[in-house]
Amino acid sequence: MKLPKIRELIEAIKALIVGPYTSKFPKKPHTPYKSFRGQPKFNEDYCVGCLACEQVCPAKAIDHKDIKNGKTAKRIIYHYTDTCIFCGECEAACIAEHKGIKLTNEWDLAFFDRSKAFETIERELVLCEICGSIIAPKKHILWIVEKIGELSFSNPTLYQTRLKELGLADDNLIASIKENARDDRIKTLCAHCRRQTTLTTKNSKTGG
Amino acid sequence: MKKTIIPIGPYHPLQEEPEFFMLTVEGETVVDVDVQIGYNHRGIEKLSELKSFDQSTFVIERICGICSTSHPFAYTRAVEDIEGVEVPMRAKYIRTIIAEGERIHSHLLWLGLAGHFLGYNTVYMWVWKLREEILDVMEIISGNRNNYAMFKPGGVRRDINPEDIPLIMKKLDKIVPTLKMLFKAVRDDPVIHARTKGIGVLTKEASINFGALGPTSRASGVARDVRKDTVYGAYHEMDWDMIVTNNGDVFDKVVVRILEMFESVKIIKYCLLHLPDGEIDLKIKNIPPGEGIGTHEAPRGETFHYVRSDGSNSPVRHKVRAPTFMNLPTYKATIKGEKIADASIILAAIDPCYCCTERMSIRDTKGERLFNGKELIRLSQIKTQTLKQKLGVKETSLEKLVQGKP
Repeated sequence: MKLPKIRELIEAIKALIVGPYTSKFPKKPHTPYKSFRGQPKFNEDYCVGCLACEQVCPAKAIDHKDIKNGKTAKRIIYHYTDTCIFCGECEAACIAEHKGIKLTNEWDLAFFDRSKAFETIERELVLCEICGSIIAPKKHILWIVEKIGELSFSNPTLYQTRLKELGLADDNLIASIKENARDDRIKTLCAHCRRQTTLTTKNSKTGG
Repeated sequence: MKKTIIPIGPYHPLQEEPEFFMLTVEGETVVDVDVQIGYNHRGIEKLSELKSFDQSTFVIERICGICSTSHPFAYTRAVEDIEGVEVPMRAKYIRTIIAEGERIHSHLLWLGLAGHFLGYNTVYMWVWKLREEILDVMEIISGNRNNYAMFKPGGVRRDINPEDIPLIMKKLDKIVPTLKMLFKAVRDDPVIHARTKGIGVLTKEASINFGALGPTSRASGVARDVRKDTVYGAYHEMDWDMIVTNNGDVFDKVVVRILEMFESVKIIKYCLLHLPDGEIDLKIKNIPPGEGIGTHEAPRGETFHYVRSDGSNSPVRHKVRAPTFMNLPTYKATIKGEKIADASIILAAIDPCYCCTERMSIRDTKGERLFNGKELIRLSQIKTQTLKQKLGVKETSLEKLVQGKP
């Protein structure tokens, strides 16, 4: 009976010297380990708005809304903190060098209003010139151009967006090109309208 | 003597999970026990069928908060079994490290709770303080204290940073002396002896008959361990002992679990020192049609997963069998004849996990359970009768033959 009691005493004295394992949290801020999986955050510089993260998310914590307003449109991507499980699949699937959405070290995510527990990122969308439907975010098209290089000159949607972005072409210049060729071919088109203009001359003013 | 029924649960301040025990007692002696579960059913198998193979891993991880490695381990092995592929060696080592880390923290959690059930709160506090160290190790490796999100079909999702290894080793070295002290405390403390020795004995024969798994069976002298019996992970690469004791009482179950933790520390240390170079992921593109099974020795016993694929993106059928499903019936052998004050520690001795076990429950519209064989046979008979009425058949030809009518 003596030995166990002595052992308990030794442990008690040790605990007195070492102190508690817990940290004095509100007074001393907590810094997690470098590898800690905290809240995923969008990166304004890298995110191209491709929605790869939305597809792979196992908890459906990432969602998007496309808002069309006349000739301009924007895509808002939501990340809901309350449904997120911090697995990091979004970061692993991100096409922009895994930097478009990245897990941070942030762990202090308590909130009072659940409906406000989300963060957003906005991306400008490119619309089809004929039917007005959404093609892709502008940044995504520019990302494709960068990836495929000169091959992008086979597709007017790609090179026009690129040239407009660089300031090398504007609508007047493109209009002058159109006079010398089939006008419907040199347009920013969605996949459906592109197929139609390839097979028919339905959308052409000059008639091909 | 008059029999009394004592209900424990389904919602009881003593319990961590909703479960219902019906103890039949004569005086102070327990003569029978009935267990009802099904309060925790969440339809995980169906959820898994709705998600893709990669996404399912995260759902499977959330079957149980403590076994958050065992289920994905068995699931990914089942998916790899469909394809018939071998995971890279480095991935195997990392999987083994995570699985053994989980075993340590699960056993420590149980040990603390066992101390709490015995009214030995000092053990409870010591052990849970010690558990923080291993949870920190898990956070360094995987980025979270629990729900590690390390597994994916074909490998692991995160590599171990070589810079972190010294820190992990330091933390593991810290665990060992405290574990030794705990083992000594259990070995020579007369209070623990008095409360656990000869209590809730599960004999070797009963263990085999009930099909008990994991530490529950190993404490009864049944030398079975998936890690030794099948070749998977990195377990066959090193020397480690399977802990087997012969008495089968609560004391032996405590001893088996404590000694297993030493082995786990040994395995993790070997893996970290001999971590091979190379890929950590096979990058599986698609899963062919077929079916596969995967097993893993979870802290509580063997976890079994069955996955069937039809070549599409998500499993067609996913079946989970958790170790507690097999260990639960051993109550019938262990608790009979014991005093009611010992009931809580005997019920806790198998380290039950009900959220792992609850895969199916049948209820009628009034909330009554339709669970036992009698009810099912009655339902079957009613169905035949209604079918007969619908078809307008009064007596089938077979019945006529049986009754001897021409």
